[in-house]
Amino acid sequence: MELLLWILIWSELAVFGALLGAFLLLSALDPPALTVLHRALDLPLAGIATATLLGSGFFAARAASGAAPRRNLVAAALGGFGFCALKLAAFGHELPALAAMDGRLPELHLLITGFHLAHVLFVALLLLAVAWRPAPRQVATVATVWHLVDLVWLLILPVIYLG
Amino acid sequence: MQLRRDIPLAATLCALLLATGASLLAVAWLPAGPRGFAVAALSLVKAGLVILGFMRLHRESAALAGGLIGYAALLCALAGLRIALAG
Repeated sequence: MELLLWILIWSELAVFGALLGAFLLLSALDPPALTVLHRALDLPLAGIATATLLGSGFFAARAASGAAPRRNLVAAALGGFGFCALKLAAFGHELPALAAMDGRLPELHLLITGFHLAHVLFVALLLLAVAWRPAPRQVATVATVWHLVDLVWLLILPVIYLG
Repeated sequence: MQLRRDIPLAATLCALLLATGASLLAVAWLPAGPRGFAVAALSLVKAGLVILGFMRLHRESAALAGGLIGYAALLCALAGLRIALAG
């Protein structure tokens, strides 16, 4: 167990926890704004993005278990890039509706999902970097961070999209 | 948190995809109260599957695995409660 890795992971979880807590609080205080936000969000596309990210997590887990690490890390990174493409496509048609909304909820939604998207992109690039010369310890570390990104998305989903 | 055997990766992925589909169906079909419970429970199951099935964190540290599942349970419960109360 690497202490620094877990300090990083819990720091990330604390930041996302605070942001999701703020979203829950604001949406509980202003249910009509949440209803308008949900009309603007593309739930089926979020479902497809979730499946893509989970598939990517599967390949990262296979790499960490020692099965063809280079090939599985590249597959996991491609899944991450696919998730990014799907989220950007969703933003493309959600943004005009979100821009027309008042209040803090759409801003918070963009902050949370945009921050997560940046994490996915960065860690997907890290997956590719580790795939270049995969050492078992580095593969396990980058896979753990990738699963954290998976986990955060699985918590964003019920708070923002499934409400 | 000692599991006798690791959950196979393919089974973990299948369960995660099924739970994701079930969550989307719950949002479309269930009224607010059951929907809140279903979304919270399915989201917690998915988080648990990632932690135990993909990360296999229980092998390394049961406390860390329990901490992550507890964190996920708190957020899922709050999300489910909000859905159940506010619709």
